Amino acid sequence: MTARKPLLEALVAMLAPDDVLVSCLGANSRYLPHLSVRVPVFALCDSMGAAIPLALGMALQRPDRHVVALEGDGSLLMCPNVLATVAAARPSNLTALLWVNGHYESSGGQALPSAPVDWTSLAKGLGITKVERVGDVPALRAAFPRARGAREPALLVVDVAFDPNEPIPPYSERPDEIRARFRIL
Amino acid sequence: MSTTSLRSGAQRLVAGLETAGVTLAASVPDTWIGKLMATVRASRTIRAVDAAREEEAVAIACGAGLAGGRGAVLIQNAGLFNCGGVLAGLVDLYRIPCFFIVSYRGDGRDPVYYHEPKGKVTEPTLAAWRLPYAIADRTGDLAAQVGRGVDAAQRSRGPFVLLISGEDLE
Repeated sequence: MTARKPLLEALVAMLAPDDVLVSCLGANSRYLPHLSVRVPVFALCDSMGAAIPLALGMALQRPDRHVVALEGDGSLLMCPNVLATVAAARPSNLTALLWVNGHYESSGGQALPSAPVDWTSLAKGLGITKVERVGDVPALRAAFPRARGAREPALLVVDVAFDPNEPIPPYSERPDEIRARFRIL
Repeated sequence: MSTTSLRSGAQRLVAGLETAGVTLAASVPDTWIGKLMATVRASRTIRAVDAAREEEAVAIACGAGLAGGRGAVLIQNAGLFNCGGVLAGLVDLYRIPCFFIVSYRGDGRDPVYYHEPKGKVTEPTLAAWRLPYAIADRTGDLAAQVGRGVDAAQRSRGPFVLLISGEDLE
């Protein structure tokens, strides 16, 4: 299974100038300041489950921009209902990536409830019709443009390796700094 | 929506949202909020968004605000009780303006007995969570009360809650 960082680097490299990135708390938000990201980024460091609805609000407000949301499986397991909300609102400019590693990585690596959640089926059952599952960088490079061009909300279920010894950098930006810098022109 | 020809409280509340520049209203309905949202849906300037749960509605409204609009959250007080985490970890932490219209179920005006426990803890919860709030006064200018609430949220870069009762919508 592929590690998070190369997947995140591949995603960031595919973002277009008009994209906006919203990141869930944890490893994604902690890595992003260390990558070359050329689009506005709103990185959460708390509030599990907020990334997708936050991105939905942005997408509805700014239909001229494409909003990419990063969410973790632990967070979405708390509130999968948000996928029904997205399906109902049906923005054509929202792509979500669900990072599935089966662990609450940022709180010490505890395992999620050990149910074999079928995220693809769950998302489709909640009304997201454009769903793909990817497990490595080439698959992500192929799937992301399809999702981004779907003209409907899309979800990529990204299987990512869990490594309790992964040297994830600490948070390096304070919320007030993130908030002050975030601008969608 | 012109304020001069309005008859119902719901119309006056929505006119207040429009005048205050609210562009998106995210909601989970109860009987009262559902009536208010029916009026929101008639607005030409406010996007109505139906959320499955109240925390989502808060984040959706915040997203609209961060993207250059103004978001509002229309929910029941029971739903507000669900929102402690997102209020602390998103609205307060990132200092995002977020205006709420919350149905005050279980206060002395609510005819439905089973809402009473929620009514007892609504204002104590608002106080404990340090949420600025006002109780709508239907004898006054409801649109202006909405406007003051939206403005308070913008100025403080935080939440403001306007509590309404069913009779305020009539």
